[in-house]
Amino acid sequence: MIRRDTKALITYFGFVFPGLAIYLFIVTYPVFYSAWLSITDFNPNRGGAWSFVGLLQFRTMFEDPYFWHALKNNMIVVAVSVFGQIPIGFVLAYILFRRLVRAGSFYQAMVFFPHFLSTIVIGTMWKRLFQADGPVARLIQILSGDPSAQFDLMLRENTVMYPVGFALIWMYTGLYMIIFLANLQKIDTNMIEAAKIDGAREAQIFFRVIVPLLSGTILVSTTLAIAGSLRGFDLIFSMTTQGLQRMNAEVLPIFMYRTAFQDYRNEMRFAYGAAISNIIVVISVALILLSNYIGRKLKAGEEY
Amino acid sequence: MKKATAILAVLLLLSATVVFAGGQKGAAGAPVVVKTMAYGDQSNPEGVNWLRIVDAFEKANPNIDIDFELLYDEAYHQKVVARLAAGDVPDMAYMGADARWGLPWQEAGQQFDHRPYLDPNYYDLKLIPDMGPNGEIYEIPLGTSNITTVLYMNEKLTKSFGFSAPKTYQDILAMVPKAKAQGLDVVSIDGADGWAWGSCLMSGVIARISGDAHWVSKAVAGQRKFTDKEFVDSLALLEGMVKDGVINSKSVLVDYGANLSNYSNQKALFMVQGQWIAGSIENPEVANNTLMMAFPKLPGEKAATAGSVAAAIQVGYGLTKTGGSDPAVRDAALKYIQVFYSHEETTQRLRDGAIVAPILKNFKVPDDLPRLVKQKVGLAQAAMNTDVIDAFLSGAPNDVLNAGMQKIVSGQATAKEIAAEVESLLRK
Repeated sequence: MIRRDTKALITYFGFVFPGLAIYLFIVTYPVFYSAWLSITDFNPNRGGAWSFVGLLQFRTMFEDPYFWHALKNNMIVVAVSVFGQIPIGFVLAYILFRRLVRAGSFYQAMVFFPHFLSTIVIGTMWKRLFQADGPVARLIQILSGDPSAQFDLMLRENTVMYPVGFALIWMYTGLYMIIFLANLQKIDTNMIEAAKIDGAREAQIFFRVIVPLLSGTILVSTTLAIAGSLRGFDLIFSMTTQGLQRMNAEVLPIFMYRTAFQDYRNEMRFAYGAAISNIIVVISVALILLSNYIGRKLKAGEEY
Repeated sequence: MKKATAILAVLLLLSATVVFAGGQKGAAGAPVVVKTMAYGDQSNPEGVNWLRIVDAFEKANPNIDIDFELLYDEAYHQKVVARLAAGDVPDMAYMGADARWGLPWQEAGQQFDHRPYLDPNYYDLKLIPDMGPNGEIYEIPLGTSNITTVLYMNEKLTKSFGFSAPKTYQDILAMVPKAKAQGLDVVSIDGADGWAWGSCLMSGVIARISGDAHWVSKAVAGQRKFTDKEFVDSLALLEGMVKDGVINSKSVLVDYGANLSNYSNQKALFMVQGQWIAGSIENPEVANNTLMMAFPKLPGEKAATAGSVAAAIQVGYGLTKTGGSDPAVRDAALKYIQVFYSHEETTQRLRDGAIVAPILKNFKVPDDLPRLVKQKVGLAQAAMNTDVIDAFLSGAPNDVLNAGMQKIVSGQATAKEIAAEVESLLRK
């Protein structure tokens, strides 16, 4: 019996080891390396010498107004994702599931379409839409009757996240719609029929039957949205021009990139960049734990 | 047990044979590999020419393998930093010697002095500027100085309004009402790109207003302050240009491509950009009627720097310390560089408008060069060269200055505020 268990254990490790080794090398090692880097002044371009500097990089970061600006923008992106993409995706999925519109497959394809495009292509497209005398500016000129009117929200710190948020919703809503649609199709339709027989209206079916049934999916989607929002770099980077627009819309990953890759004046820039990336992970984990806590309080994911 | 040992021994023998055979092959016939970071993409002349030259070179020199990575713009700069940090140092690379193009190599201790290896009969060493404290040459520039503050004038269009080439700022100002009435911009700039304000406009303005060709390098070195009156006045002049209508306020939303397109499509009388864009004016009618000039006399400018243009050391290809330390790689790379900088290729670069003037010895400038290229050479020969801001100022202070100029011209900040922020960040 013991011999058989040992054999099974060896087989088990034989199967697990290759994947585990790759995971440890590609994921775990960089995480620990990054954590170590952030408490040193190590710059690989200056040879192997390094000193332990404690929390200096974190203190510098918390005193840096650009960090707080980037964090604020990141929180807006998280809010747009959690309270924008997910609810809209859910509602669209429900409309398609309940066949409340004709040509549902067409709408499904259209909403999911941005996912077939490269993020850089999407970013460039939005940049073109928002440029001087571009399509959006033309529309404003027609509606306002002012031929000199321009779409200048990207130029202002307090308005830049509106167009960015809109582009984020346009790009990612389709993903959540598909996730919700797939899960809606697993629901036992008898429950909906029973609710209808009991006289429930469409809104009541949605809020009293569908939402509780898909609370687990909402929770998973929220986790995905938070993690994705905090590491989001490519869309914002590509839809803004270098200079004022990008600084206005700067989120933590772009701030980290600008610091570690471009600020040659800072000899500790790699360590500082590592500190920023570690904070991104910490905030991400904290928000995910918070959403899980709220989910538990609301009894999300329970079987019905 | 014996059987297993025998199998293991046979396997070891086989592996050793394979390894040994491979080693012998490598020593005898394997080509010398020159790991290279090249600049360009598959669609621009730089990238297309690079691919063509490498292909021809490798066919003519089968014992040399130019193992390159071709990247452009932001992707190139990002990869340089990443590769150097990872210790994956190329043997040869596109690089410069200033704050933007040279700092990563300098920081990594990868700058290599080419002086002992440059044939003075092939390169005109007088045309290659000093790049290090002892006159080192860290890269071979594609051409002589890289002028960044050029005013391109559509001569035909301007004349159609009854104007001629401006001699003063007031001359340009006088064109505003007529141009506006026709729905045209007077001076087009890619103001959505922060660097354009710094490299292509402010670099020229600060030298003119201060009367000091090297004001920027002195300020970065601490001998001047960015809060000094001449710098604040220069920033305020940009704001004045927009208020005067010389530069359209919507320029802050115009990017590089749109700026070029506006000028090529005759939506502006003038365009501000660097010398490198001359070859990209696609409308032949506009290209053939374009005059390249230094900014006209600006309000408050000093006589000492009148008619000057900002110019940086041209970038080019060079060996890294890693590449230079291996004689076989070094010789192979230098051989390739000589082909890359050959008279034929340099002439082509000149025709494409990619360079101002060659750095080759006894180079005979063809008589049939396009008009714009001849003008460019003339401008380089006639105008005094002054500092380019981002050749000396880098990192956060430069980012804040670039974005700050956009804030000033869009009415979100004052010249004084931006100057103070740059100064504060620089001295931090």
